[in-house]
Amino acid sequence: MKPFFLRLVVILGCLICTVPATGAGKNLTIAVIPKGTSHEFWKSIHAGAVKAKRELEDQGYKINLIWKGPIREDDRDQQIAVVENFIARRVDGIVLAPLDSSALVAPVETALSVNIPVVIVDSGLKSDRYSSYIATDNYHGGELGAEHLAKIINGIGKIILVRYQVGSASTEEREAGFMNTMTNKYPRIKILSQNQYAGPTRDSAYKAAQDLLNRYGKDVNGIFAPCEPVTIGVMLALRDMGKAGGIVKLVGFDAGTQSVDGLSKGDVQGLVVQNPMKMGYLGVKAIVDVAQKKKVVKKVDTGVHVITKENMDQMENRELLHPPLDQYLK
Amino acid sequence: MKTEIPTSSTGHLDRFNLARAVQMLGPFLVLAFVIGFFAVIMPSEISQTFFSAYNFKLILTQTVIVAIGSLGMTMIIVSGGIDLSVGSVVALTSVLGAVLIKAGVSMGAMIVAVLATGGMIGLINGTIISLFRMTPFIVTLGMLGIARGLAKKLADNQTVNLPDIALPSVGMFMADPAPNGYYVAPGIAIAIDLAIIMALVLNRSVFGRYIFAIGSNEATARLCGVRTRLVKLSVYMLSGVFFGLAGLMQFSRLRQGDPSTAVGIELDMIAAVVIGGASLNGGTGSIMGSMIGALTMAVLRSGSTQIDWPNYVQEIIIGVVIILAVGLDKWRQSRSQS
Repeated sequence: MKPFFLRLVVILGCLICTVPATGAGKNLTIAVIPKGTSHEFWKSIHAGAVKAKRELEDQGYKINLIWKGPIREDDRDQQIAVVENFIARRVDGIVLAPLDSSALVAPVETALSVNIPVVIVDSGLKSDRYSSYIATDNYHGGELGAEHLAKIINGIGKIILVRYQVGSASTEEREAGFMNTMTNKYPRIKILSQNQYAGPTRDSAYKAAQDLLNRYGKDVNGIFAPCEPVTIGVMLALRDMGKAGGIVKLVGFDAGTQSVDGLSKGDVQGLVVQNPMKMGYLGVKAIVDVAQKKKVVKKVDTGVHVITKENMDQMENRELLHPPLDQYLK
Repeated sequence: MKTEIPTSSTGHLDRFNLARAVQMLGPFLVLAFVIGFFAVIMPSEISQTFFSAYNFKLILTQTVIVAIGSLGMTMIIVSGGIDLSVGSVVALTSVLGAVLIKAGVSMGAMIVAVLATGGMIGLINGTIISLFRMTPFIVTLGMLGIARGLAKKLADNQTVNLPDIALPSVGMFMADPAPNGYYVAPGIAIAIDLAIIMALVLNRSVFGRYIFAIGSNEATARLCGVRTRLVKLSVYMLSGVFFGLAGLMQFSRLRQGDPSTAVGIELDMIAAVVIGGASLNGGTGSIMGSMIGALTMAVLRSGSTQIDWPNYVQEIIIGVVIILAVGLDKWRQSRSQS
């Protein structure tokens, strides 16, 4: 008991003194904060971060990588709390995928004010003081999705856009890219519905898709889903109705186990795929560069591609569809 | 024979005070246990920053919203009721604040409107519960949906963002005025002041004692001449004002109106009140206990994040602590009774 009490006393003593930030050159603690932890997309970012950590450790760095999402996924307040906690812990850098482009500005600026570099990945932040922004050109992703869907329904027909969630910058850009391309380039395609939100989970997306298909199922030719949970929700609803397998064409976004399975079975006619591993990888590398006082690029585009059943077995596409998660996360 | 009566009654009084003292101390024991637990298991480089003044302020800031809500929730639970609509009311009032500021309304008027809206929803809950004798669980469950829906409608189904110029004054309540100094965010001071006032109201005022009386036995309280309906209505309305204030703090923290915020925050508040020694059957509970309960959960969250546990560990541990805290309380009660 005695050492315990001694330790308690020493630690309570520390309550009084604020500890200054530490920044030993090659020994870094880096926090990577995703929007959530249960979707495969975030696991790919995690794998990319681990890949960077391993490479850096081969170069003689010592990296303590912390992976931590908000406890209640999609809750802005909880993500703010996570960022704040890592500021309190005085980590050497934060890689953040902000849940909201406005709400996370204040904690990020607090981090910067105490000299903790922040690299933003995946979704934008309404600030320009962060070190680097590494993300997909989401608007272009939406354009590619619209082009592909228009091509496979031969430029004529009726389609639905199932939106993801209010206030999510990345998906809103995809939806904007999709809508603008559809309305401007394809006048013979009619948009039946574009104002329904699927909500944060596969289950909520499944329900929303069932409701939409109940109403428009007889007329619709094609559906665009702007992210992984929505793609899967729509795919499940199409299967229930017997409209899967290409009767209603589905173009989704992001590669997850189920959506890739849907692609190979022919229930999904195309996936717009980003490169989340590259985001995690470059995010961690950028933090290290900032810590080494090297110059970093302010904005990095990690690229988007449309993958179909026909080209899914090509070498570079296979890696995008099946990121080697086990290699890095096990 | 006559001399025995005073001794036995003082003996009874002493035991009563002892039981009360233990009940008051219980929540502190749980908090001390949690802090001690982290002190022992944290590696020194983490405990250095965890046990720092900066982090102490941070944990207090992260407690403010749940703490202010718990003030209202304590009153409601002591009166034998429950309120499940708090998260939605917080969302609705924070969206209302954002919409008003965006429309150019002054900070002062916005604050009045936000608090009044919270009070109004509480008044509606309280009226239905006391006049129509409906169970609070059902009424507030309904209000959970209504207020959330209204919040989304008011926000036009998206987050309400403010012009940059409005952000500093909106964020003032929850912003740390001096990251390296000892001043704290105004929200912390407001929460502490209100907690002291509410502790006095609950323990020293007639209104406060009526709430305990109703929670212990509503029929007896009514027979003793307590206007139970009026008191219950006032409890829900006053609590609603606190929930509106919690909404104001949420708005200040996010610096935007977010209709999807604070889902399930009422459960955090109920847990805080219960860790603080209240019974969901009504009649017991204390403001001090609830505040310590809220703080305990914030310390647990902050500690588990900084110690780098996966989220599922954190969720499981908080669940275990809630059950242990209440179990400990039951055990103490049964011992002090026997």
